Amino acid sequence: MSDADPIALRATGLGRQFGAAWAVRGMDFEVPRGRVLGLLGPNGAGKTTTVRMLTALIEPTEGTATIDGFDVRSQPDEVRARVGILTETPGLYDKLSAQANLDFFGRLYGLDAATRAARIEHYLRLFSLWDRRSDVAGTFSKGMKQKLAIARALVHDPALIFLDEPTAALDPEAAYVVREAIERLRQAGRTIVLATHNLDEADRLCDQVAFVRGGLLRIDSPARLRGSLAGGRVEVRIVDRAADAGLLTIATGIAGVGAAHFDGDRLMVDAADPASVTPSLVRALAAAGAAILEVRPAATSLESVYFEVMGVQPGANGEAA
Amino acid sequence: MHRRIITTILRREFSETIRNRLLMATILVPPLLLTVAPLLLGSAIGTHTLPPDLVKSVIAQRPDWASFSPSELAGAFAVQQFLAFFLLMPAYIPLAIATFSIIGEKQARSLEPVLAAPIRTSELLAGKALAALIPGVAAGWLTYVVFIALASVVYGPHLFVVVSDPSWLAGVFVLGPAVGLVSVVAGVIVSARVNDPRVAQQIGGVVIVPIIAVTLLQATGTLLVGASGYLILAAIVAGIGLLGLRLGVRLFEREAILTRWR
Repeated sequence: MSDADPIALRATGLGRQFGAAWAVRGMDFEVPRGRVLGLLGPNGAGKTTTVRMLTALIEPTEGTATIDGFDVRSQPDEVRARVGILTETPGLYDKLSAQANLDFFGRLYGLDAATRAARIEHYLRLFSLWDRRSDVAGTFSKGMKQKLAIARALVHDPALIFLDEPTAALDPEAAYVVREAIERLRQAGRTIVLATHNLDEADRLCDQVAFVRGGLLRIDSPARLRGSLAGGRVEVRIVDRAADAGLLTIATGIAGVGAAHFDGDRLMVDAADPASVTPSLVRALAAAGAAILEVRPAATSLESVYFEVMGVQPGANGEAA
Repeated sequence: MHRRIITTILRREFSETIRNRLLMATILVPPLLLTVAPLLLGSAIGTHTLPPDLVKSVIAQRPDWASFSPSELAGAFAVQQFLAFFLLMPAYIPLAIATFSIIGEKQARSLEPVLAAPIRTSELLAGKALAALIPGVAAGWLTYVVFIALASVVYGPHLFVVVSDPSWLAGVFVLGPAVGLVSVVAGVIVSARVNDPRVAQQIGGVVIVPIIAVTLLQATGTLLVGASGYLILAAIVAGIGLLGLRLGVRLFEREAILTRWR
């Protein structure tokens, strides 16, 4: 297909069964070009199976998906030519140099010698590996191996990049290095599907997040997901809480405010549309003599949304402890 | 199948093989020993002769040796046993390379990125099989060429005729590659199920059993296979290899590798 189609990936009712058990089913989503979709879920949720179906590594049991307009079932070779994948483990050839690793994949994808040489240099420089290009991959740190594996996924200039748990099992420093590499790809306008159970990573890197657990539970932008759980809440930090009850009465008396309570020195005001009630709220509280230090929308972490969507209580039954 | 992809896989396999010291030792050391041992033993035979009953049995099966003197006949009978050595190389070298290659990839989990590329699994299998088969067959052939060159000096003209007769040529150049094919297939099938190259080699090593059986039959004078016998054996062994290859192709499907290989 062509770049004219703004949708790089379409999945429709995608599902995969192993024996009698469904690993994942009912996956319906789209990824526009240049966007980053996060597949978020616990281990065994079906993220890797979804990635494998979308990269034409395994066939779906039901439903279908198109990559750049090509069907994963009927045009698997075209799909494979258009995707790059970082698998859960780097899967490098440890006895070959960084350059030889990339050259091998460049040849597999049918790149000519000049293109291979140019791309290999470009990506090794992009990921700060050019000076180590002749060293065998087995001597690299985990972070360097992961960056080399990302470069391998990019060497044929794919329309879509799939990154399966790119920072899993990395120490914080290596994970930071890899996240920076992904951020560079994001800024370069690459279309990326990022399978992860790292909520912070998804929040920072993804335009959309899909919660997966045997199927698609919810998909939206991180901000909307947070907003959906917060339900609209304004936090007002007050220096002097001398007239608590009075301030609560004033707050709940404002049109559009549902409920209010104090949490320490913060007045928490629930409202369906916080943006419309906040000016009235601030004026009324100030008129009542409240010394307002700060007013802001209540922050809800993606982690809270995750637990809500997954139906998991942190610490309960040992889950998400 | 695309030759470009098979060649690409073949090049990478060779690059990794030559960097694997243990594997290189496995490939290089035995051919040296197998060249030197027959020459030393052949030259040590000296004036020994065979028991009369064995002489009758040998002449009955190889009438072309009837003109040999008793010591030459003993020498011919002794060196004939070493033909099996040249079949051992295409038997164990491909097995060693295939098991190291496939199990190495399983352990490094490097097959998934390869399978994500637009290649056919038959191309991947062909590349790996050739990368295992070529060194084994080449080692057998090269060792034989070196052996035969030295044999003309060490053994003298009569025994040189024995080690360069059609039965040896058929054994080394036709049966050898057929044995190599079976060895590769055994390596592929076993490696799909096992995660330790040494265990895979022990299991896959059953391909050597028929060679040992032929050696024993020859050593007792029960069966001295001629050129036509080796050609028939080669056809049977190649047939077994091709049947095994069909199973190997099934084991080498993307889904099987990703979901069933453990």
